[in-house]
Amino acid sequence: MSTPTQEPPTPKSGTALTTLRELPQNVWNSIFRNPLPSTDLERSSTSFTNFFLHIHPVKVNKNTLRPAYTMGLGLMATFLFVILVVTGVLLMFYYVPSTTQAYDRMLDLRGTVAFGIFLRNMHRWSAHAMVAIVFLHMCRVFFTGAYKRPREFNWVLGVLLLLVTLFLSFTGYLLPWDQLAFWAITVGTSIAGYAPLIGKQMQFVLLGDTTVGQEALLRFYVLHVAVLPAVLVLLVAIHFWRIRKDGGLSRPEKAPAPAPDSGVVKLKKVYGLQGFVRGPFTKLGNVPDDSVYSWPNLLMAELFVFVLTVSLILVVSLLFNAPLEQPVNVMHPPNPAKAPWYFLGLQEMVSYSAFWGGIGIPGLMVALLFLVPYIDRTTHGVGRWFAKERLLANTIFLTLVILNVIFIVIGTFFRGPNWTLVSPF
Amino acid sequence: MRLALAIASLVVLIVHGVVFRNQFFHEWERHQAAYFEQAKSMSRNDRERAELEARSPRIEQVIVTSFGDTRVDRCTTCHMGAEDPRFAGHAEPLKTHPYSEALGDVQRNGRWERRHKFSDFGCTVCHDGQGRGLDTFYSHGEDEFWPEPLLGYVTQPNWRKDFAPKLKGMEYMEANCAQCHTQADFAGTPHVNRGRKLFYAMNCYGCHKIDGMSEGTLGPDLTEAGKKFKVDYLWESIVEPRANLATSFMPDFHLNQADVESLVIFLKSRRGVNFAETSLDRYEAHVANVAVVIPPGTAGEKAGEQLLGDRACTACHKLGGRDGGIAPDLSYEGLIRDEQWLGDHFVNPRSRVPDSIMPAFRFPAEDFQKITAYLETLKTPPPPTVDARTTFTNLCARCHGEKGDGNGKVAWYIDPSPRDFTKPGFLASKPRTRFIASIQEGVGGTSMPPWKRILKDDQISGVLDYVMQNFAKEPFRELKARNIPEKNPVASSAESVSRGEQVFELRCIGCHGRKGDGKGPNSLDILPHPRNFRNHWFVESVPDRRLFESIEYGVQGTAMPSWIDMLSTNEVGDVVNFIRSLQAGQK
Repeated sequence: MSTPTQEPPTPKSGTALTTLRELPQNVWNSIFRNPLPSTDLERSSTSFTNFFLHIHPVKVNKNTLRPAYTMGLGLMATFLFVILVVTGVLLMFYYVPSTTQAYDRMLDLRGTVAFGIFLRNMHRWSAHAMVAIVFLHMCRVFFTGAYKRPREFNWVLGVLLLLVTLFLSFTGYLLPWDQLAFWAITVGTSIAGYAPLIGKQMQFVLLGDTTVGQEALLRFYVLHVAVLPAVLVLLVAIHFWRIRKDGGLSRPEKAPAPAPDSGVVKLKKVYGLQGFVRGPFTKLGNVPDDSVYSWPNLLMAELFVFVLTVSLILVVSLLFNAPLEQPVNVMHPPNPAKAPWYFLGLQEMVSYSAFWGGIGIPGLMVALLFLVPYIDRTTHGVGRWFAKERLLANTIFLTLVILNVIFIVIGTFFRGPNWTLVSPF
Repeated sequence: MRLALAIASLVVLIVHGVVFRNQFFHEWERHQAAYFEQAKSMSRNDRERAELEARSPRIEQVIVTSFGDTRVDRCTTCHMGAEDPRFAGHAEPLKTHPYSEALGDVQRNGRWERRHKFSDFGCTVCHDGQGRGLDTFYSHGEDEFWPEPLLGYVTQPNWRKDFAPKLKGMEYMEANCAQCHTQADFAGTPHVNRGRKLFYAMNCYGCHKIDGMSEGTLGPDLTEAGKKFKVDYLWESIVEPRANLATSFMPDFHLNQADVESLVIFLKSRRGVNFAETSLDRYEAHVANVAVVIPPGTAGEKAGEQLLGDRACTACHKLGGRDGGIAPDLSYEGLIRDEQWLGDHFVNPRSRVPDSIMPAFRFPAEDFQKITAYLETLKTPPPPTVDARTTFTNLCARCHGEKGDGNGKVAWYIDPSPRDFTKPGFLASKPRTRFIASIQEGVGGTSMPPWKRILKDDQISGVLDYVMQNFAKEPFRELKARNIPEKNPVASSAESVSRGEQVFELRCIGCHGRKGDGKGPNSLDILPHPRNFRNHWFVESVPDRRLFESIEYGVQGTAMPSWIDMLSTNEVGDVVNFIRSLQAGQK
């Protein structure tokens, strides 16, 4: 396997014995075209010819690898999604989306199924973590001004991904079919019902009924295990693809971008397909010096984020069991009935005004989020945290984020029976 | 970076180790291994020993389909020795389930045979708990979210510490026996039977509904109390009715612990659907209950005084040494109310005091007559005293409060509210004759009784002086002459009533309600509550002059404002005609 060059070993007219001896080697070589790279050429080749690695550029900017810049949040969200898919598929083997069976299946998972409780814990905590991390990822992108030209559309995709993530988590919340699930979804879908004109219809389509019941459970199940993950995978694929096409991760503008007239690249030598990718970075002859090979630098960073994410989720899943409350009792609502935590900010606002808290303000916020890169057209301050040039934009965004967090904290910890203010201490 | 990576990987490895250990070394496997070990040492022949040798730990379960929803009971996974009589002396979980003749088990040829075979009944039918679990914490229901912890054995950590010890004991399992053994006198369920009797004897049925047993509407429906609530909650609700709902008007019945326990067990047995009942049985019980208005009990057997005690009247009322603190004092009832009033009031309390919360109890007519006869004998007035303060404390303070602020101990339950004497303005704006009249004759349709047969004129006058001097913060002042017609100048007619209704809807319904019943949207925040104009006893007892005065000049010390600048005399006349027109059909 340690052939020093990329040339395949010349096939010798061997005996059966040689064939047998070389079998593992040949199988390996047929799968992995490249040896473990030791030269720059091999490093590019490895990234370029491996299906799973070819999503990476051959070389990345050093800035991309700075942990303090990205904090690995986007990767973390991706890995959490992978954990969710794996644990989710395993849970699907045991789950039945039926009002009479779902809760019993939860009990079985907790008590009898091998690794059942652990799978459920991992799935639950990863789901919560994913909502939080995706949100933090959005904050990171905003505070570093990374949504600016040419990455506007990727920001829009990101906002869409946040919404899909929230909806995925929300649809999964109902599936255990316990009191927590039932009333959280009852509250959550009631908030949707406050939308003008189509609110009630939307709620009805979502629930398949006027109240949460068997139809709602089935709909949420299908959305949760089939529709939304498919949408998410598609959007994530475009999101990643756009990162490459938009010239890699954002970074501080050091060298001025090539002048328009230098757009014509002087061909000095023949180059591969990757050279056609637009943007200032990958053009041959214009490669900034502060880039390093993805293999092993980027891969190590990714591996680190992956192991960190997995170990955190594992430890949390070992220490804390996913909640499972009483079986559903439609006649006995808990007081207060609370939505999932990420919607408690909404519920808190709904307690002041149903329309404005539940639909008006959140709708405006989401619309604003979508439009951010089209409103803020300046190009300064990209690639640095809290750049001075972006003081106004960052202040506005930070204020909204803090407000949202405050509402969520109030709704989660400071609201008691009848939604009165209580102290959690 | 590499060090961090190594540490993180180590964490992943360790967690995997722990998880795998938890998954492959179960508590229940240890119990099973211990069982096999000891059974082997006890077995007498080689065949049995070889059989035990060949067995490996596995999950045991009983699937029960005969009792309600399908149950999966995996209890015997740990409790391996439950059916093995050789383990009678062992410790749990291997201990043999006791055999008992009381449970119907029989001994044949020296071997016990169970009446309730585990293979037919499972475990949770009798014991509750969570049959699917394999972990002690969850399967015994120690998890606070599990609705049915092992009855009589397990108390959950969030239960009240002062109750928890009382909620243990085998007798609690009777609640589950009663799921099939529904006979009222079944020998195996003495606590349930006693609780059922108490449910009638303590008048619980007057307020609470249990399908097939009672039709009360004032309190919560208890048909499924045993399914909805845990024993801890049931116990608390009986001994401290206001623990969960501060505004509850359920009385504290001061039951002894044995009675509370019986009631809790009885209520725990109310789960809506009993396994032994068919839909037809339930329907027949329902029909029978509607037809027979006499609850099982002691119809006509006892004298009124005894009935009064048996029926727990003093859980609300005051009489003799007992004071329920919710309803009026009955000590001088014979001097206050006549037989007619008492009779009507028993049959339907709201026929005399329209906003009363007293339930219409369905005693047999003879019982009502006997209680009425007894109440009519209570004609001994309190020892005459000239000290107005003592009189006020003894007779008035229970409603009007020691401080005269209208906030006596029963005031909360009484509608219309007792008058607050500390509000400046009210006492100062009404003539003395009116107060004297109210005390002497009472106030119609309210809980203010006529005192003229209990108090002499000078006592009444003394009490009034006492109130004026001690509570009223403003001295009585001579009223300015008010221009009020003695009689309504507008003749009552359909047009006048209709005009009055329009004014009423425009000006009055915010407090007095669209129906004029005093329950408008603002009424919740107003004390004393707005007047109920459907209370015909009250409305017919006041002259037009007083209605005019209240509307035009307002009622000082209440939320009623003055309308003199906004309504013409004719409009007020229309409103008065409208209010009078509401009385038709109220009797």
